[in-house]
Amino acid sequence: MSNTNTKKIKPLVPPVAAAVLSAIIPGLGQLLSFRIRRGLLLFFSLVSIMGLFIWRLAVIAHREIGIADRLAKSFSREPFFIIFICLAIFALWLWIIYDAFKTAGGSADKSLGIFVLILVMFFSLGWQISEINVGKMIREFPEAWPPLSRILWPWEAAVTRDTSSVTAEAAILVDDTKNPPPIPEYIEGEPYIKSTPTYGKMSTLDADNNMILGDTIHLEGSGFEPDTETFIYWEDSVGNEFRPRQNGKYVTLTTDASGGFSFDLVIPYRLTPPSAVGQQIHHVQARQISEVGPVKASEPLRLTIVLMLETIFMGMMATFFGIIFAIPLSFLAARNLMSGSWITVTIYYIIRTIFNITRSIEPMIWALIAVVWVGLGPFAGIIALTIHTIAALGKLYSESIESIDPGPIEAIQATGANRLQTIMFAVVPQMIPPFVSFTIYRWDINVRMSTVIGMVGGGGIGFLLVQYIRLLDYKSAGIAVWFIAITVAILDYVSSKIRERFV
Amino acid sequence: MLEIRNLTKIYDDGTEALKNVSFKVEDGEFLVIIGLSGSGKSTLLRCINRLIEPTDGEILWNGKDVAKADGRDLREIRRQIGMIFQHFNLVKRSSVLTNVLSGRLGYVSPWSSILHHFPSEDRKRAYEALEMVGITDQAEKRADELSGGQQQRVGIARALMQEPSMILADEPVASLDPVLAHSILGYLEDINKQRNITIMCSLHYLDLVQQYSSRVIGLRGGNLVYEGSNADIRKMTDNQFKEIYGEEAVRVNAGSISGGADE
Ligand SMILES: Nc1ncnc2c1ncn2[C@@H]1O[C@H](COP(=O)(O)OP(=O)(O)O)[C@@H](O)[C@H]1O
Ligand SMILES: [Mg+2]
Repeated sequence: MSNTNTKKIKPLVPPVAAAVLSAIIPGLGQLLSFRIRRGLLLFFSLVSIMGLFIWRLAVIAHREIGIADRLAKSFSREPFFIIFICLAIFALWLWIIYDAFKTAGGSADKSLGIFVLILVMFFSLGWQISEINVGKMIREFPEAWPPLSRILWPWEAAVTRDTSSVTAEAAILVDDTKNPPPIPEYIEGEPYIKSTPTYGKMSTLDADNNMILGDTIHLEGSGFEPDTETFIYWEDSVGNEFRPRQNGKYVTLTTDASGGFSFDLVIPYRLTPPSAVGQQIHHVQARQISEVGPVKASEPLRLTIVLMLETIFMGMMATFFGIIFAIPLSFLAARNLMSGSWITVTIYYIIRTIFNITRSIEPMIWALIAVVWVGLGPFAGIIALTIHTIAALGKLYSESIESIDPGPIEAIQATGANRLQTIMFAVVPQMIPPFVSFTIYRWDINVRMSTVIGMVGGGGIGFLLVQYIRLLDYKSAGIAVWFIAITVAILDYVSSKIRERFV
Repeated sequence: MLEIRNLTKIYDDGTEALKNVSFKVEDGEFLVIIGLSGSGKSTLLRCINRLIEPTDGEILWNGKDVAKADGRDLREIRRQIGMIFQHFNLVKRSSVLTNVLSGRLGYVSPWSSILHHFPSEDRKRAYEALEMVGITDQAEKRADELSGGQQQRVGIARALMQEPSMILADEPVASLDPVLAHSILGYLEDINKQRNITIMCSLHYLDLVQQYSSRVIGLRGGNLVYEGSNADIRKMTDNQFKEIYGEEAVRVNAGSISGGADE
């Protein structure tokens, strides 16, 4: 803020009047002393701080009506914020009056202290507006840690093995003793389970929902995998299966060295469905599940890899289409080539303007538009990225055309070369390095962008990531996050290496 | 032989850079152009090979009017006239060899040359040209890896590839220190004496002008204000000097005689 020329002009009002005027309309005194910028800046700072403050009061105390009630309510909720802003507004107002007095007296205060205060006020308003809550972040960490830890280290979910299960079952007649079912037929080499007796009373609940234990049956099994965890399942008369509990725990046991077991089970509680009529035959099952075959990639890992490839190629295709359109357009947007006539200058300005507008709209927003246009999927993502790429590369290309050194062109022309030779020998060698460098850089950006563009339906891995997070499947989400991070890191390295070579 | 008749150049913005300039250059001369910065030296040199379009006048090159030549004719004239520049004007990212070979572009077939294919005798010639200026070992390097003096030698080699009858040099040593200046002008002198190639060169330093020129012309504000032999310039008076360089000019033996280098 240099005031070398305004200093000589005499203030329109005396200091006291300037102070009074600034007290009524902040900044007016400064304005009348021809410190226009200072006056306007102070006026708009104070007005916008007060405006924002009133708005925050309305948000914090949204049930109250009337400024006094709101102030009181807000004060009870956020005392420090309210006190600080009120005091600061008052201090600012006093300072503006004092400054008007000094300015009109000709001894303008050059210090910037008050602008620091203004900045601090905006900062604390910003803190409040953006609902920053560090306490919450710390309090909720323990709860957030389990899903976070799964995202950070998701690799158990990356592999799986095929499973096979071995089951044997025996029929039990419940709540009756007539015609109990026979014990199952024993077949050599097959898993086998038998119950003695093959009938008994089920556990029930009394009026207070306390469990009344039913009869105990003795189970004996053989022919299973030795020393292996075995799960007991119960199947009711209509075929519904569940895992019975005993002493609050699911019933599991471990087979002995010869693949057999023997234990007592209280017949569990089961509400018999009304559709079940007649003799109630239930089944008890012993089941072993074992992982067989080699370790293989899990479904989330496979999907992640497939979609990561899709993502990389989306970025590549968008870059490719971007180049095709950007190159010809960049010539039309190069000032040095287009300064010939008013027509070419007009074209130059039109294309530059389109580039600037298009570039200022983020690819995510283009993706939302493209999804409306061609539907969900990678094609929408490619369209969005291509549009943004054309504008971004077009601008970079045309700037490198503008910065071309005319010296070599002159020198090659002087040898008697024709136009084509001049372009190939003097123009192209100067253009290739920036073109390659900008293009690789853009490819890098496009792959990065296509990792998130799926979040709005543009295809690629972002789509998968959002799905997993919505399903609370944090391990699978973690796999996607890891792949994104690794791919971007590799790309970053490769692209910087390639660009280094061309600079 | 080159004859300039009534050459005038008025730029689009109205600047009159050359006003009715006429002079002759005999074959084998080492003609030095002197004049203040902005006096029109570069404009004059660039009009001769039509890097700049003259507004009026004739440029007779061995009887043909360069100012009226077009297309193929113009290119044929250009390849007989080599040019070297203050800032060397090499293609920085191309190799030294490619830069030298590009001096042949006026001779070779356009289509194979754009694929960077040159006849083997041209490659041989390129190495000979590099040898003449003493930088054969730098042939594979990128042009911008060379020092200023080396780059100007590449510029000379490129001009020699044209097998020119004349070389135009626009302040060829203005970006170099005095030792290198002597070495570059030494090459031009050799080329002038041994190959009988006419040299037309603008220079800043009085001692260099006195040492290398066979004849001198002086420009001031676009007008030709001085013509003299080497002997004349050696015994030039301060008054004659001020005629060309204006009041602020001073005579410094090892220094600049034009009140500061271009740019
Ligand atoms: N492209 C151009 N457009 C307009 N005026 C120019 C241009 N090039 C040079 N001039 C002007 O022409 C005059 C002669 O310039 P120049 O030939 O470069 O002089 P010198 O080489 O002796 O320094 C100067 O006044 C310069 O400003
Ligand atoms: Mg010049």
